Amino acid sequence: MSKMMSLEDLSSIKGATSSKAIEELFNNIKKAPLNDIDNNVNNNPIVEVSNLRQDVVISSSETEKNIIKQNFPKEKNGYLVVSKVIEN
Amino acid sequence: MASAIIQTHEKLVKKEISCTQLVKEKLEALAKNQYNSVNFLLSDLALAKAKQVDDKIAKGEKIGLLEGIPFGVKDVFLLQGQHASASSKFLKNYISPYTATAIQKLVDAGAIPVCKENADSFGHGSTSENTIFGSVKNAHNEELVGGGSSGGSAVNVAKEYTVFSIGGDTGGSIRQPAGYNKVYGFKPTYGRISRYGLMAYASSTDCVGPITSSLEDIELVMNVISGKDYHDQTTYESQAINLAPALTPESVTVGYYGDFIDNKGLDEKIKSDFLAVIEKIKAKGIQVKALSFKNADTLVSTYYALAMAETASNLARLDGSMYGERIAADTLKESYAVTRSEGFTAESQRRIVGGNQVLSQGYADEIYLKAQALRKNIIQLFTQDFKEVSVILSPVSPTLPPKIGNSLKDPLAMYLSDIYTIGFSLGELPTLTTPLGTATGIQITADKKQDELTLKFAKYLNEIL
Repeated sequence: MSKMMSLEDLSSIKGATSSKAIEELFNNIKKAPLNDIDNNVNNNPIVEVSNLRQDVVISSSETEKNIIKQNFPKEKNGYLVVSKVIEN
Repeated sequence: MASAIIQTHEKLVKKEISCTQLVKEKLEALAKNQYNSVNFLLSDLALAKAKQVDDKIAKGEKIGLLEGIPFGVKDVFLLQGQHASASSKFLKNYISPYTATAIQKLVDAGAIPVCKENADSFGHGSTSENTIFGSVKNAHNEELVGGGSSGGSAVNVAKEYTVFSIGGDTGGSIRQPAGYNKVYGFKPTYGRISRYGLMAYASSTDCVGPITSSLEDIELVMNVISGKDYHDQTTYESQAINLAPALTPESVTVGYYGDFIDNKGLDEKIKSDFLAVIEKIKAKGIQVKALSFKNADTLVSTYYALAMAETASNLARLDGSMYGERIAADTLKESYAVTRSEGFTAESQRRIVGGNQVLSQGYADEIYLKAQALRKNIIQLFTQDFKEVSVILSPVSPTLPPKIGNSLKDPLAMYLSDIYTIGFSLGELPTLTTPLGTATGIQITADKKQDELTLKFAKYLNEIL
């Protein structure tokens, strides 16, 4: 069985715990009566699965690439400096 | 109210004001304003574009209706080379690498973006207090909230700092601030306008829409920004909206949810004013049906369970690796945690944690999947109801705008205040706030892709109220 991750780990937010307001919302769903779902009813979907485009790669413009680099939190010689990733 | 876009266009064409002067006046008004409605002014960009319009007019060339019209952009949209902060500390210095499709279409039509507007951070709020740029003050009473999350946009239109503004609406974020500030706000059918370049909150209900001072301006803006977009596969081709042919009242059946009106949290005056509107409609010979919203008690919970799950996933990418403010720490995991803890506001953290909770083992089946099933119930309810009625009317908010400082202390009360707007978001339905009938306006909803009908019915209401 897999180890349960804490909300702090799942959210990457220090000290993250469940809030009373949100527990109240969730408890309401547990109690909610669920009506049968009629799969024959046409709910007029906005997008049909048959109408999806091809997945093709489009290269970004030079301006876009330069701004992406400008947004790097830490940069050295035009490259993104990443945090130390090999640890523990 | 007459179209502010057409009025401004005529002033430019008749040379009553130059575009440069017009843009300067708007920028000055925005800079001086005390409502905290603006995060960033786009002065250089706006003045350069204004000069281009003036040059065109000077040469005797025709200009389009939107050419030279100053507009505001909620600070969750990307506009290449300009700030896009989502009103957050995390992205305070972030620069947009590209431009959102809806904004690009307006720029291509010649409209001039003059500011990035204050809002609840990442759309997380109903008051525009959850922002690092100061709480947005209501256009009509500075002690009250501006509404949210598109509060700055609604205030700017109400104060005429912008001719129109573009907001984002996930669960009411255009419609509720429009109601609080007595302007028009339109959430179109999900997919009518591309979400490309809009920072994602809850992708399954996120919509782009205009906030304006007239119905005609909604029509004009919608007809520019709608349409299928390669970058957003949930978009569809739509017909242009045409307000000109008047609605034939006898062809319309109006519905309203009795459960919404019986809600104990509904302000008595809003309730009596809403029912008075229903009576006026009946007096005109229009058929009115009271409908039952069977899931009203669980509507808020359903919406928030799904919206939080989606925002937790969408905002997982914000860890300071590629962009945003990175706070260094001894380990990668610690760096993520410190960066996210410092970068997100308390309300955004609450929603992210709630979203991860609802998606985690032990909650996913019991809460998240059940909320998805409840959403299907709601969609089927709307499908059935729109076989009986053409439009559904509802209040925009259960209460008047709260005082600044009260809402974030009681998040549950803030979530519950969204009760009248979120159902139509879950249903992907076109819904307009018209600033008539009650102190916070009235919502008009039609079936999917019937966006024009909501506007035409609003035009009819303008005549009879």
